[in-house]
Amino acid sequence: MTIRHLPKLSRRSVLAGAAALSAGSLASPSVIRAQTRELVVGAASSQRSWSEEIMIPAFEKKYNVKVVFEGTRSLVNLEKMQKNKDKQYLSVVQMDDPVMILAVREGLLEPITAAKVPNSASLKPGVTHMDGMWVNYLQPWVGIAYNTTRMAAPTSWAEIYDPKYKGRVILPSLQNTEGVMNLFLASFLKTGKPMAEAQKDMDAAFAKLKEMKANILMAYTQEGQAYNLLEQGEAFMVAGAISTLALARKAKGAPIELAAPKEGTFSMPSGIALVKGAPLPELGAAYVDMLLSPEIQAKVTEATFALPTNRTVPAPAGLSSLTVHPVDWANVSENRAAWVARWDRELSL
Amino acid sequence: MIAALKNRLARMDRIAILAVPALVYMIAIFAIPVAGLLLRSFSGPDGFTLAGYVSFLGDAFNWRVIGNTLRVAAITTLICLAIGYPTAVALSRARGFVQVALLVAIILPLSVGVVVKAFAWQIVLRRDGIVANILVGLGVWDTPQLLLFTETGLVVGAANLFLPFMILPIYSVLKLVDPNIQDAAATLGASPVYRFFKVALPLAMPGIVSGSSIVFSLAVSMYVIPSLLIGDRFQTLATLVGRSFLLMRNEQLGAVTASVLLALALAIVAFSSWAVRRKGDSR
Repeated sequence: MTIRHLPKLSRRSVLAGAAALSAGSLASPSVIRAQTRELVVGAASSQRSWSEEIMIPAFEKKYNVKVVFEGTRSLVNLEKMQKNKDKQYLSVVQMDDPVMILAVREGLLEPITAAKVPNSASLKPGVTHMDGMWVNYLQPWVGIAYNTTRMAAPTSWAEIYDPKYKGRVILPSLQNTEGVMNLFLASFLKTGKPMAEAQKDMDAAFAKLKEMKANILMAYTQEGQAYNLLEQGEAFMVAGAISTLALARKAKGAPIELAAPKEGTFSMPSGIALVKGAPLPELGAAYVDMLLSPEIQAKVTEATFALPTNRTVPAPAGLSSLTVHPVDWANVSENRAAWVARWDRELSL
Repeated sequence: MIAALKNRLARMDRIAILAVPALVYMIAIFAIPVAGLLLRSFSGPDGFTLAGYVSFLGDAFNWRVIGNTLRVAAITTLICLAIGYPTAVALSRARGFVQVALLVAIILPLSVGVVVKAFAWQIVLRRDGIVANILVGLGVWDTPQLLLFTETGLVVGAANLFLPFMILPIYSVLKLVDPNIQDAAATLGASPVYRFFKVALPLAMPGIVSGSSIVFSLAVSMYVIPSLLIGDRFQTLATLVGRSFLLMRNEQLGAVTASVLLALALAIVAFSSWAVRRKGDSR
């Protein structure tokens, strides 16, 4: 890992660097003239395919730099930053929002500003967190996946409570991040409070969820099993299904569709941040800027079936009016274990 | 006298060496970690404490989980015994090709992974699956009922997976029993019912005890099977242990739950073996 700190001076990289210097110094911004040509991005392995197919080639071409993509998990990236606090080697991190909160508390992140990252000024409301400590680069949204051969499109989250779907609804376990959103929606349906307040009223949430006990076929921890049951028609709905998974299955020909209910929805964690004290800070900022740019956002959202966070990029067809409510991730981190314990007691068979 | 004893001990020592590799292995990878787990369950912020057990056993929900665990394991064991015993008898009486075919049919499914079998059960137990179709066709059910993700589905699936572990120990005992003993009992005027309870069953008892112990231990601690066949809404002690360590990051709760599971499983297996032996001796 330490070797990463040193620029690799092969004959080819020297030549390439020299060529870039002479060719680029006339027309391009100053970052191009940076001497070390390796930018390390700490991300999740699930983000590897679109990063390596879309984002990284475009970035390497534009800035003549090598991007090293370290795909692990959010908590591993946090650990890497903690261990290298005096000499960071990661420049950019892509982590889940709850882990970002921890990184902010430990002072590991550098704010994203419009001066450093011009495209951050074009972001939709609700995707810039803690004064720019991190932003969401995508919004994989959560909807109701349904079997198109068994039912018509559901229009409301209230539909999963309809007694005619006895034993036909699959929910995510609260162990899964998308599971907690059902609590918020249940509370919203019960109380009619604004979504931000509804997220705090768990008594209402559990009271409402208990009404649909007979409808729950199972609560999944492995999404593969849930989609299997949905596609076979044993389940009619998976509520909340993540767009990235559900629409990828649909694209492969599964008889399912993902409905965007009228009450709006939530998005899955997908944060990006600049590391404080990182090498190549300008290139790191340029990486974030490019990922937030309209061109890359359009391509990445198409590949991942997520919503763009740059408001100048049009949403996918039929989703332009979909409201994405912000999740209070600090509240989730603090209370998740208590919610799981309560779920076990009140919603078990 | 003393010389003879010494001699015997010396002979035992030499034979005991054969068990050393297994002993070292089990101490390193099983006994030491289990001891660590037990210690962890008694350690609080101020040293030794029973607080973990007090709060665990003081929670009515945990008693429900203990009930779930023991009920499912017991029913699974009984189903395996009811199906496994006749199979073992058939296997011990079969000869030649039939016996080989039966053995292969029992052992080969063990090489198919648990996950694959669980998914297969998911297809079989569906509301438009073969079981529901047969039951509706026979008029047992008016409309297809839910089997998947119910306790019935879990027990049926678990019994299927653990059946070989019941059949093989009983078979290995039965194959050593002289088949003429039954005929001898018959010629002495024993009725079939008397023969079964007073001759066949006592002879098979060592196999039944070890088969039941193995199946019960497997069923009481199964983790993957319930998570695939019944899901998140039915907690057993084993799934609770996993959840405490992996999700809630509550090591003491996990250690306490695991220790309770271990104690219950050991107690039940030890007690049932002792009870059966005692009954055998008293005759």
